[in-house]
Amino acid sequence: MKYFNHHFGEFEFEEKHIVDFPEGIIGFENLKKFIVVDDEDSQPFRWLVSIEDSNFSLPLIEPNLIIPDYYIPKMPGKKSVFVVATLREPFEDSTLNLRSPIIIDNDTQVGVQIILEDEKLRYDFSLKLETIPE
Amino acid sequence: MLILTRKISESIVISKNIKLKILEISDGQVKLGFEAPDDVKIFRSEVYDQIERYNTEAAKTLKSTVIQAARMLKENSNKNVKR
Repeated sequence: MKYFNHHFGEFEFEEKHIVDFPEGIIGFENLKKFIVVDDEDSQPFRWLVSIEDSNFSLPLIEPNLIIPDYYIPKMPGKKSVFVVATLREPFEDSTLNLRSPIIIDNDTQVGVQIILEDEKLRYDFSLKLETIPE
Repeated sequence: MLILTRKISESIVISKNIKLKILEISDGQVKLGFEAPDDVKIFRSEVYDQIERYNTEAAKTLKSTVIQAARMLKENSNKNVKR
């Protein structure tokens, strides 16, 4: 399958890689179908790319790269956990939203952005001094 | 906007399957209890608004900004290794 995206131009993907978000993403509830794009230049960040709106893509990161044991889904089955990265220039102003991770079920390819009740989790966790493992 | 007055322990039903009960009122605060199906999401509006704000800003990120941030994060890691 082919789709066009403002960052990546025309790109191809297999249907099995489509992640279905029945409730959409918070603030973008009308968008339901996405692909997680692993762009070499953007690593360790990834992109949640809409295949319904060619101008929509959201930078993500696996929070466990930065904060071990940040959040482990209690639901059964294999899940991928991401958080939305608000990246800015200068980089020092960049943050992660730890309050509402995106959980993708790897077996069913269904995703959801949840809101965690823990009020200590920040919307604007600073990336300034963070490091990633080799 | 529909406005209803309720006393403590009284409730309101929305669309048959959502029940909202007034549990406690004190010092200008109201404690509410909700009964709703699992697929009905209930959030404090300011929490929802914040997340929407961060998602909206993140969705406008330029690819070059992400590539730059990736580079900076890796540089941070390298500095730490040297220490």
